Amino acid sequence: MEKARIQELISKYNADHASAAEVKEIEQLLESGQIDLDELHEVQKIDRAVAKISFPEPGADLDHRFYQMLALEKGSKSSFSWREFFSWPQLAPKLALASVMLIVGIGIGYLMKPESPANAQLAEVSQQVVDLKEMMMLSMLEKESPTERLKAVSLTSEMNSASQRVTNALLETLNNDENLNVRLAALDALKPYARNGEVREALIRSIANQDSPLVQVALAEMMAQLQVKSSVKELQKILKSDKTPEDVKSRIKQSIDVLI
Amino acid sequence: MLKVKEGNLDKLGLLFERYKKPLFGFFYGLTKDAELCEDLVQNVFFRILKYRYLFRGDGDFKTWMFHIARNVNHDHYRKNKWKLRESIENWEDKLGSFENRATEFQQDEEMQLLSMAMDRLPEEKREILMLSKFQDKKYKEIGEILGCSEGAVKVKVFRALQELKEAYKELEKHL
Repeated sequence: MEKARIQELISKYNADHASAAEVKEIEQLLESGQIDLDELHEVQKIDRAVAKISFPEPGADLDHRFYQMLALEKGSKSSFSWREFFSWPQLAPKLALASVMLIVGIGIGYLMKPESPANAQLAEVSQQVVDLKEMMMLSMLEKESPTERLKAVSLTSEMNSASQRVTNALLETLNNDENLNVRLAALDALKPYARNGEVREALIRSIANQDSPLVQVALAEMMAQLQVKSSVKELQKILKSDKTPEDVKSRIKQSIDVLI
Repeated sequence: MLKVKEGNLDKLGLLFERYKKPLFGFFYGLTKDAELCEDLVQNVFFRILKYRYLFRGDGDFKTWMFHIARNVNHDHYRKNKWKLRESIENWEDKLGSFENRATEFQQDEEMQLLSMAMDRLPEEKREILMLSKFQDKKYKEIGEILGCSEGAVKVKVFRALQELKEAYKELEKHL
């Protein structure tokens, strides 16, 4: 609305000449903040009078009752209340303290855990069993019979973690064993250790050594599955080789696509 | 108030001393019954004490207090509706009597007339004028109490003052 019109409305209102419609307009201007109550002198006069009205004051009885209530509340504050106990401002620090104490307790308990002799003996025996299994596996890998060698490779799956000696023997088998099934089993047995950097490198180098298409494809798929991007170069060598059958090439290409 | 919330209940005594008079005045402007006003003020502080953990601390304590005061007043009238109807005639007699007023406050004639005009306003108009008076015309805060915008509060105050002016003029004619 134009300023002039607003001024006219205010003047009319202050002179007590405003119509009902104009009063309505003034209300709209007040609501939108275009005019302020201070500008309407007629209502201001009465507002000032309202501000001046004085009321009686409360008696001493109110003070007495209030301080009695406060004293009662202070007294009951010391008594236990479930509602207060579970109110968040009260509960949060308690929970935090309880969690910290629990963690500290577990930590201290762990540090102070006594090494019982029975446990130590058990650990020693199981280490001996593992060593024995390793020795057995290594000697079985030397056997002429491919079945024995397959058994040797499958023994590694029973070990929780293979030593470097075992992984090296498996890699040796993968690269040099004359039996295709044994080589494939060795590759399979090496899979859990492919996260190890050395084993992974050896597997990549092995790609070029393989002449069996089945092992090549199995290696390529393993590389794709483990996302070993550095194997792409070796895989491409197989692709370029004339000896590689077309089926194998297409499978390897798929693996390379996954890797890239 | 934040200290009261944290459990320092003695600080509520300070708040009581600071606000008992405006709170009493607010209720007196609405009810004109001193004894009832004391009950209502006591009730407000009882609720403040009981629900102190609900005070968020991001707003003004006075605004929160008047919000509670308004609820206390509404609850009182809801509970005592039937009693109110019974005594409404006596009530009007009491309000209409000049003599009573003159002895009740030693105010000049103009003030008495204004006070009578106030009594003629509907409850919600008296309430907005009392809030405006005791909240020092902080319309934004009054909006928070009433749950409406600052502009809407200004319009409500304007309408209440208009009606008060008319009631005042009407009474003046009969003098």
